[in-house]
Amino acid sequence: MSSSGAGIGIANLPNQRHKIVAKSGANFTLMVCGESGLGKTTFINTLFTTSIKTPKNQKRRFNKSAEKTVEIEIIRAELEEKQFNVKLSVIDTPGFGDYTNNRDSWMPIIDFIDDQHESYMRQEQQPKRQELSDMRVHCCLYFIRPTGHTLKPLDIEVMKRLGTRVNLIPVIAKADTLTPTDLHKFKKRILEVIAAQNIQCYTFPLESDDEASTKRNMNIMAAMPFSIIGSTDDVVTIDGRTVKGRQYSWGVAEVENEDHCDFKKLRQLLIRTHMLDLISSTEETHYENYRHTQMETRKIGEPKVKTVTNPKWKEEEEALRKRFTEQVRLEENRFRSWEQQLIAERDRLNKDLEAEHSHIKALEAELESLQVGLSPKRK
Amino acid sequence: MVVGASGLGRTTFINTLCDADVVPKRECDEPEMAHIEEGIKIKPYTVELDEDGVKISLTVVDTPGFGDMIDNEYCFQEILGYLERQYDDILSEESRIKRNPRFRDNRVHALLYFIAPTGHSLREIDIELMKRLSPRINVIPVIGKSDTLTPSELADFKKRIMEDIEHYNIPIYNFPYDPEEDDEETVEENGHLRSLLPFALIGCEEEIVVNGRKVRARQYPWGIVEVDNSQHCDFAKLRFALLSSHLQDLKDITHDYLYENYRTEKLSRSADDLSEEGSDEEDQHARMKEEQLRKEEEKLREIELKVERELKEKQQELWAKEQQLQTLEAQQA
Repeated sequence: MSSSGAGIGIANLPNQRHKIVAKSGANFTLMVCGESGLGKTTFINTLFTTSIKTPKNQKRRFNKSAEKTVEIEIIRAELEEKQFNVKLSVIDTPGFGDYTNNRDSWMPIIDFIDDQHESYMRQEQQPKRQELSDMRVHCCLYFIRPTGHTLKPLDIEVMKRLGTRVNLIPVIAKADTLTPTDLHKFKKRILEVIAAQNIQCYTFPLESDDEASTKRNMNIMAAMPFSIIGSTDDVVTIDGRTVKGRQYSWGVAEVENEDHCDFKKLRQLLIRTHMLDLISSTEETHYENYRHTQMETRKIGEPKVKTVTNPKWKEEEEALRKRFTEQVRLEENRFRSWEQQLIAERDRLNKDLEAEHSHIKALEAELESLQVGLSPKRK
Repeated sequence: MVVGASGLGRTTFINTLCDADVVPKRECDEPEMAHIEEGIKIKPYTVELDEDGVKISLTVVDTPGFGDMIDNEYCFQEILGYLERQYDDILSEESRIKRNPRFRDNRVHALLYFIAPTGHSLREIDIELMKRLSPRINVIPVIGKSDTLTPSELADFKKRIMEDIEHYNIPIYNFPYDPEEDDEETVEENGHLRSLLPFALIGCEEEIVVNGRKVRARQYPWGIVEVDNSQHCDFAKLRFALLSSHLQDLKDITHDYLYENYRTEKLSRSADDLSEEGSDEEDQHARMKEEQLRKEEEKLREIELKVERELKEKQQELWAKEQQLQTLEAQQA
């Protein structure tokens, strides 16, 4: 064993990995779930400091269809920072919790999450699995209305179902409604209800190598559920600083101020420190769970029973199906005409063959008659 | 009456309005019970107020549990039932030969509907409720916890709500005035109040010291929101309108218009059903139901008897056939 400083170079492996990962980029899928008007769109735009999602167009609200369903909206974006690419997908759930009767309104969301696991599982089982399209949800932010009391029964139902399928992070929306004491009480209540109702929220390992990270992690965990204020506007505070915040006639609520809200902590969790943990725990824990339960009951290759279909997708499905049948019909026609051509060719060739045959027969007959003519002469 | 989803500041508003602890703060139940949906409850509280020397006996009806369940269809029926029950009481009292001089008029004169400060527009439950209740009561929409919205957001939100109300044809109490009949002051006042609809409310029971004065205000790390400051919210104006200037108007509309409508509808409905002696309508209705039930019972009994008879006949036939077969068998053997 060499006692000099340089080893054989195994310690260089993480650097190699770093290069590989840095080149291939990352794929991150985030879902925001909650009633409309809680600031989900603004939060997304604030989190990634660009306009990923356009705010709802209010002028078209009277053209709403009468179908009272929850839709799934997928928005894709590519972010680049210091030459590292991230393919970001944000999944929104418009229509959730907006109606008078919200029973089973969580079904489209649950089905969507399960469908992503299902599709990944199916792709893994294919013979060719180089290009896998992975839309599994890595993290779900559930927006809680800042009532100041407690969680609603609808919240509890949905969070129960979400927590077992995806990394769930509860978030208190529009936290500038609550005074600090109210907020503290509210957070405590929510944690009590979550514990009593056995809702699984996202947890991460607190212990880490250095002291500072451990403390930071514990800080972050203690602030769950995170209270957030979202804003993409720059405003000027009383002491002249320009920050992102909301300007009221009695003051400015700042987004990045730790005393005002937990936005910084949540951003740190989501992007700076624990994004990889979110991705890997989705792949290792949730996906494996899903696979485990599905394989126990189903054979390989059997499709899953589908319950609810998304109305938007139904139209697309219809259009695709129509195109498909059109194409099939065209192909069939082509094959038929080709077949006919081949038959005509064959007949023609057969006729030629017959003509040749009869020709040969005639020549043979001639030959025979000549031979007969010759042989008597010899005798 | 105050109606709105929980967490919008109803209870605090009532306490702020009456300047006293009228409604107890909601006690959150056990965390284990949090997933159980309680139905809506209707709770009236009566308070004696002194408003500029005028004594008012204010009854506030709170409706905790509204909009909290997963399926909220039932809530509308409950509230509507309560309102109509009050009207029924008055109706029967008026129809009595000897009226009770100390009868309490429990009709609800105004309904404050708390809209959640989403910043978008009205939700389905808001539209449904206001539509269903406005034929029976003066509906005044208000925005709860309006300190969530910046001044520009608030203005946009108010505009959109009024557009929605017009689009869906929801008749709300919009401080009606007649430009020809009323004097200029009234026209101006009502116009101003109408422009403030829906009122942006903030409620607060604690007092803190601001600039040496004790005011009711909410303290945030970034500022202090005062309840009585007209620039921060419309609470003061609403209070004045409800308890002083438009109190009589609300009562008049309730009595002359809404109650009369209800009375007409109810009486013409029962006139179609049956037209006999002018005794209590409820008795007639009950009697009719009883008769119907009796007739149905008789019919059922007849059917039963008929079926029994048929069964017996069939049995006899089969028995006769069996006998025949047996004799045949005996003959063969």
